[in-house]
Amino acid sequence: MPTTLEPTEVMDPSLDEQVAPDHPWIVLVWNDPVNLMSYVTFVLQKLFGYSLEKATELMLGVHNEGKAVVANGTREQAEMHVFRLHEHGLWATMQKDGPAE
Amino acid sequence: MSRFTSPVRREGDAYVINLGRDETSLVLHLIGELRALLTDPEPTSDAQVLMVRLFPVAHPHDEKLEAEYQGWMRTDLVQSKLAAIAIVEDALEGDGVVDEGHLMAFMQALNSLRLVLGTLVGVSDDPAVDEVAPAYVDSTEYALYSYLSWLLEDCVRVLAP
Repeated sequence: MPTTLEPTEVMDPSLDEQVAPDHPWIVLVWNDPVNLMSYVTFVLQKLFGYSLEKATELMLGVHNEGKAVVANGTREQAEMHVFRLHEHGLWATMQKDGPAE
Repeated sequence: MSRFTSPVRREGDAYVINLGRDETSLVLHLIGELRALLTDPEPTSDAQVLMVRLFPVAHPHDEKLEAEYQGWMRTDLVQSKLAAIAIVEDALEGDGVVDEGHLMAFMQALNSLRLVLGTLVGVSDDPAVDEVAPAYVDSTEYALYSYLSWLLEDCVRVLAP
């Protein structure tokens, strides 16, 4: 019987066997010099029911940082949010939550 | 003659758009050009550039998902913009009285026009350069863009919760 622990071979689970986490999708609005700050704030209030304070905070994030996450959800929900934002002329994209690929 | 009254005002649960004859004619003309742009079956490359802000990319990191999105949503987006144009025409050719939903459609159509004109004149918020491309500083297109911005601001003022 060995007196010391011997290294044992451990089977790493293959990537295929890992269960993909159910990442929610995020919706981003990007800065566009054409869209008025007041209009962006208004659209965020109307589409998402945000207070003036919350919508203004998000708009300033878009304006100052270049983008802001304005909503999240399933892929279908995110796609509908993006569509509504595109209807109103905002530059919106969506991606899985986490680092951009 | 300068304007002394707001072009959009609230009356009870309704809203009244009163642009006057000349401005009404101008907006209807611009809206007609926007419809022609949206319904052109074979837009030129220049026209496609002008429309780039009307149809943003939804999935910048995934070509397959982007193709699916465009396949599902592009037609609906065009129809939505055409519906907004029709609402604007009905309102401006009628008495100008609209409900909140129709005023929202009016705003969408105004902003679509701004997105096209803003692209044309090269609007930028880069403090290192002028707001528009030098060739357009004194242009009619930039004057129209500025007018539509003012009109849209007035709609936001009236509708803001």
